[in-house]
Amino acid sequence: MDTFIQLTLNGLTLGSVYALIALGYSLVYGILKLLNFAHGDVFMVGTFIGFGAIQLLGGTVNPIVPVWALLLLITLAAMAGCACLGVVIERFAYRPLRDAPRIAPLISALGVSFFIAYSMQLLFGAEPRNYDTFSLNGGALYTNGFDIGNVRVPMIRIITIVAAFVMMILLWLLVTRTRVGTAMRATSHDREAAAMMGIDIDKVIVFAFVLGSALAGAAGVLFALRIPTYATIGFLIGLKGFTAAVIGGIGSIPGAMAGGLVLGFAESYAQGYISTRWSDLLVFVLLILFLVFRPQGILGKADIRKV
Amino acid sequence: MKRRGEMVLAFAVIVAASLASTAGAGSTVAAKTQGVSCKSTLKIGFTAPFTGGAGFLGNEQLSWAKYAVKTLAPKYGLKIKLITGDTPVEQGPAIAQTIAQKFIADKTVVAVLGPSTSGNVVASSQAFWQAGLAHISPSATRTSLTKGPAKSATPAFFRVVPGDYIQGPSDAAFMLKKGAKNVVLFDFQEPYSQGLADAAESVLKAKSVTTTRLSVANTVTDFSSFVTKVPSSADFVFFPTQKPGDAQNIAQQLLEQGKKAKVFGGDGSNDASQFKVPGSFVSNFAPDISGFAYNKAVIAGWKKDNSGQALGSFGPPAYLATQVALNAIKKACAIGKGQIKDRRDVVRNVKKIVVKNSILGGDFRFSTKSNDPLNAKFYIFEIQSDGSYQLVV
Repeated sequence: MDTFIQLTLNGLTLGSVYALIALGYSLVYGILKLLNFAHGDVFMVGTFIGFGAIQLLGGTVNPIVPVWALLLLITLAAMAGCACLGVVIERFAYRPLRDAPRIAPLISALGVSFFIAYSMQLLFGAEPRNYDTFSLNGGALYTNGFDIGNVRVPMIRIITIVAAFVMMILLWLLVTRTRVGTAMRATSHDREAAAMMGIDIDKVIVFAFVLGSALAGAAGVLFALRIPTYATIGFLIGLKGFTAAVIGGIGSIPGAMAGGLVLGFAESYAQGYISTRWSDLLVFVLLILFLVFRPQGILGKADIRKV
Repeated sequence: MKRRGEMVLAFAVIVAASLASTAGAGSTVAAKTQGVSCKSTLKIGFTAPFTGGAGFLGNEQLSWAKYAVKTLAPKYGLKIKLITGDTPVEQGPAIAQTIAQKFIADKTVVAVLGPSTSGNVVASSQAFWQAGLAHISPSATRTSLTKGPAKSATPAFFRVVPGDYIQGPSDAAFMLKKGAKNVVLFDFQEPYSQGLADAAESVLKAKSVTTTRLSVANTVTDFSSFVTKVPSSADFVFFPTQKPGDAQNIAQQLLEQGKKAKVFGGDGSNDASQFKVPGSFVSNFAPDISGFAYNKAVIAGWKKDNSGQALGSFGPPAYLATQVALNAIKKACAIGKGQIKDRRDVVRNVKKIVVKNSILGGDFRFSTKSNDPLNAKFYIFEIQSDGSYQLVV
């Protein structure tokens, strides 16, 4: 039972990060019908911005601000930096190709992905960056927390899970309860009709990139609180975020959340109960199975078109 | 249907792109030297990871190799230029083949230092052998490179540090001495960690220690689920990674999950700036060289050239490897009367080299039975509360 609880906790931590990444894929796909494969690299840039922000704030051994402020500030810095990067990517890599055949922006997305990853490697080297959160308050984030049975739920996991869920709820409220959210949904439903109703499509698209990239930045920091990061980490993590989006139903916001969690649990249980060796293989088999048998995902709607 | 097709196509494109980006090197080119004057500038190639997770290792080795070339080559009457080839561990062995071809094609390269990792030795040794290039590693420790019926390195490969046939059993013996009854051993599905884990596991099993083997892909970054599989009763987690940050990560995650097992990292995790959870252990093929009085001048000289850098354990073997290479080149020049007529003359002389009062302690010479050092041993360090490494065995 303890193993099950621990694996569930692992899956929840990982899944909440995947969900934040998947939301970025879904937001952009929902509006532009574009698979933004550079999204994983935006996530990676977020991890690096977080690392840089920690250094600016004095490092983890002797930070110049309280721990809670440090965590908040690095997350906000990563979100802001990634939002700007998202705007730049949209403006220079995707907007010129908006009316091109759909394979063109897809290839452009791959190009942007490699460009960002290898530019970061050239600029900052390939050495892993460790946030060293273990040194914050003498390891308190790892040793403090609460127990479920014999399983410790440490503070660092609580922070990751709670922060991810708060952001998902805020996004949900933004999309369903605000004017800009209504505009996003209208654009997603029918871009031409939305334009005719007076919605500024360009602004909505840019806003979707800002939101998605900011979430990727936040996911980057939450991930790197526990795991070292490096310049090429975005490719595999981004692919898993894409998988989560497909599993949940790409274009669907609740679907992205559900898909991220399903993928996190699947990966964790596969490692725990099936084989540590084959967990990545199982994850991508899951992707293929969904693409073949349920392409609309768990919560997505089948794409019915008039012929 | 159209949407499904697009997503399948997208997935296929991305997989194809990733495969293409890792495509490997070309075929072997055996470029025989036509004869190089020893009065001209000769080159020594140095192939190691200078970037990536093991970049700390290659850079430390390079600083010592440069210092050896700067201080020793003039004494031997040689003009030597060191050229480098970066092999990040994340890129796998294909890059080592490419770099080997680059060194081989340059007829003024008369010896090679490295490869620093075992996987890269396996990938490039055959090419070096065909080209007659001696390659002397300061850190490749996989046992089967030089021993056993299926030796994966060629007779042109030499190493100045002992192999895992000593490290694995030494580490296991230490864990036994510490009263280990239950040990979890990791490998990362590549030659270095598999060889080391195999060697340690066989000794532990022979002493009736309960062992669990976990095999993890080299790309895994979050070890949480693996840590979950570590039994609460485990005394040690043997973690022979080449990325010290990963050793730090798993040590943190063991604490996070309330597991009492201590992490025991191999020589690849020996980096005090990255792996610093107190109570953990690391082994290494080099002792603290400041313990040998005759090294005082060498250490002072190196520190002058590398101000602010700490004395590590990967660098000094690179100094020794360079010293061996320079001696072999000098001998080959003497035999060729001021010329290296064939790079194989260097290979033939490496094994004859004896270094008195070597930087690693005592006299260095190769074993007559294999291209390994004679009478070498491994050293074990415990990480202290201030993050420093203290020699315990």
